[in-house]
Amino acid sequence: MNTATGKWTFTQPSVLPGFGLTFGFTTFFLSAIVLIPLAALISMAASSSWHEFVHTVASDRALASYRLSFGASLLAASINLVFGFILAWTLVRYDFPGRKLIDALIDLPFALPTAVSGIALTTVFAQNGWLGHYLELAGIKVAYTWIGVTVALTLIGMPFMVRTVQPALAEVQRDLEDAAETLGANRFYVFRRIILPIVVPAMLTGFALAFARGVGEYGSVIFIAGNLPFKTEITPLLIVIRLDEFDYHGAASLGCVMLVISFLGLWAINYLQSWGRRRTTATGR
Amino acid sequence: MSITLDQITKRYQGSPVVNDVSVDIGDGEFFVLLGPSGSGKSTLLRAIAGLTAVDHGRISLHGRDVTYVSARDRGVGLVFQNYALFRHMTVADNIEFALRVRRMRGSERRERRRELLRLVALEGMEDRLPLELSGGQQQRVAVARALAHKPEVLLLDEPFGALDAKIREELRRTIREVQRELGITTILVTHDQEEAFALADRIGIMNLGRLLELGRPEDLYARPATRFVATFLGAANLVLAQHTSQGICIGADPVLALGSTGSAGRDHEVVAVLRPEDIEIAASPDELRSSFLGLGTVEQLLFVGANERLRVRLNNAASSGPVVTAADSNATEALLEVTRTQHDRRNYPVTVGQSVTLGVRRLHVLATPLSSFTACASTAAQAQAISEEPLLVQLATRMKTRVSTRVEPALQAPGASASAAPFAGVAVINTDPEAVHTVQWLLQQGAEAVLLLPHNAPSPTRVLIHWLDEPARRATLAVAASLLRHVSAEAVYVGIMPDAGEAGRPDAMRSLLDARSEAQAVHGLEIRTELGYGDVAVELTRRLTERPDQMLILGVSDIDVLTQRFTALLSRMVNPMLVVWQPGESPQ
Repeated sequence: MNTATGKWTFTQPSVLPGFGLTFGFTTFFLSAIVLIPLAALISMAASSSWHEFVHTVASDRALASYRLSFGASLLAASINLVFGFILAWTLVRYDFPGRKLIDALIDLPFALPTAVSGIALTTVFAQNGWLGHYLELAGIKVAYTWIGVTVALTLIGMPFMVRTVQPALAEVQRDLEDAAETLGANRFYVFRRIILPIVVPAMLTGFALAFARGVGEYGSVIFIAGNLPFKTEITPLLIVIRLDEFDYHGAASLGCVMLVISFLGLWAINYLQSWGRRRTTATGR
Repeated sequence: MSITLDQITKRYQGSPVVNDVSVDIGDGEFFVLLGPSGSGKSTLLRAIAGLTAVDHGRISLHGRDVTYVSARDRGVGLVFQNYALFRHMTVADNIEFALRVRRMRGSERRERRRELLRLVALEGMEDRLPLELSGGQQQRVAVARALAHKPEVLLLDEPFGALDAKIREELRRTIREVQRELGITTILVTHDQEEAFALADRIGIMNLGRLLELGRPEDLYARPATRFVATFLGAANLVLAQHTSQGICIGADPVLALGSTGSAGRDHEVVAVLRPEDIEIAASPDELRSSFLGLGTVEQLLFVGANERLRVRLNNAASSGPVVTAADSNATEALLEVTRTQHDRRNYPVTVGQSVTLGVRRLHVLATPLSSFTACASTAAQAQAISEEPLLVQLATRMKTRVSTRVEPALQAPGASASAAPFAGVAVINTDPEAVHTVQWLLQQGAEAVLLLPHNAPSPTRVLIHWLDEPARRATLAVAASLLRHVSAEAVYVGIMPDAGEAGRPDAMRSLLDARSEAQAVHGLEIRTELGYGDVAVELTRRLTERPDQMLILGVSDIDVLTQRFTALLSRMVNPMLVVWQPGESPQ
């Protein structure tokens, strides 16, 4: 916005008229859907006393649930960072029978009701499940532990990662790799110096989306988590429990904490991204 | 030799995209690979760079066999059409990429970078990002980057393709200067003949995966050996003419009296190349300063700066039969393309519709024995059907020649007398169980080659060549060389050794070796050789049965051998076959 002329306009002239109209819609939409509900949440939390607020949000049970929620989300997003990248790479770079099918399967976690994913995962990873049975023999318990939570969040976050990285990878021209190779670079060098710098912004976006989704996930996790207080209880569940107890202030307080942490996390990633973009693309003189 | 390619073949899904390409490129030479898109030239370049593995053949750089050496160890510099610069790195980092990979010290790197930037005239641009540069500047960076590690060979893949005309010329000059200054052996791939003329020490022209001809630009332009090169390198009118004892005839009168170059013997059809600038226009035959060609009518006039371009219809074409093919159209019309200088235009201005006299200053006869096709059958409908066979249409289109039809009732009743007219070009018949008799009859009537086409035969991807007796060798190779330049197929000479005894072995082996060297030396055609054993007809049939998309070129000098032993082979309804007849030379 150009404040020098005292008027708010497009940063770039556009053939489309109607800045007023679109800006009006933007503010209205953001307000009605995002800002007002969030404000209500904060005001609800604020209506409880400071002592009460601290007592709720800093209770041992709440702290344990933050650790699980954010920890598992971070871990799941990190897993997706690696394996989602590999998946996207395979889909972009190779042509094999069934590629279209796998491409379609990626979106399934988007479409499936999360409860269904939760039940399915529990069935597979429970002690007597297909995989859980063998993992049990190896001494690994998945269902009803934090591992189970991570598995559920990984599943839920995976499409975000793949779908953001895919178009970025498709843009890495084969010629760039060929050029680097004729200049003497080995594969690892090409990957590190040519491919990664190009797709890192997309990977960060995917990471942020997967992380955000993981923090907010409820349906799939509660089936596989077992929901033991202090152990496998995620914050969204704690909020629901508070609601069941008609403790609306407590629920709102916990919600506020999630809001702040999530916002800080996403903001950090966004900042990282724009820093990366400034480094990699021209500023256009 | 700096770069030696030996029988490089690359196939995609069975069909060759680079087909038996062999070439030696000297130290410091600027070699241009010229060809239309899809001719395999870029694939060949990528193979030299090591980015594409070859299916057959060897590549040597400075005497070192690098066929199985990876791209990073070949020491070549490659420049791409779309620059392929690393956008997230500055110009300096781009140029130093190869040096960093090689762990060169910082001070040396900077020194080398400054030197390279001076070479491509981009001093002071170190800290820019590629996107902040113009297209021409980006390509200069790409050239500098490709030269950073002092490669032995510089490969340029259509480097000017994405640039506008002015920048293109400037960059062309830069590249030529850089190449001269460094004395680096360079291969440039392009589809732009002007570019090729401007840069090349030698040009190699590719089409359908084959390297058709190579030579100095002026030689290729003046004396092309093939139709494709004649029309691709500059404009050309291809004219079917008669080679007679008096000279080359287009129409009734000889246009040019041939010297000793013309081989004595029967009249036969040839393909003549008339460059548009070699045709003269005058008001009457008396005013011509060149050899008389015929009378014509101006059909089109086009002013193109320094020259005037005309299309002139040759009036005597219809009566006497030669077909004229305009350079840029596949339509077989009797339209000649003519260009005149403004000086000539002022001396004798013409308008559309005006009748003029045409003369020829210079005429070049192609060495091809395949001038045109004549579809032969006993009824007009059958002849028409043959002339519309997809494979024949494809061949004729690629050769820019005509398919005429000829009705011979005698084909039905052997022994009946035939019309006396000589056969022009290759006779084409449909394969049927009686094919061998038809072939025999056609050869006796004077046809020099007969193409047997099964109905809806696919375009061959492999052509087997064999001659039954030595006298047929020369003609068979000439026909094969001409045909193979117009199909995307691998050529294999099959040498066959008789099983019984050792008697025939040295002969078969010798003809095997002769076949390849003669194809290479005389026709510039690369062929593969394979060895078979046993009865010739059985062995050839066995090989043809292996794959349906094969064609056979069979040379013969004794028709009786054909009728006695090859009846079954010639009536195979699967593979197209071309029988070439060269009568044994009678002792003088």
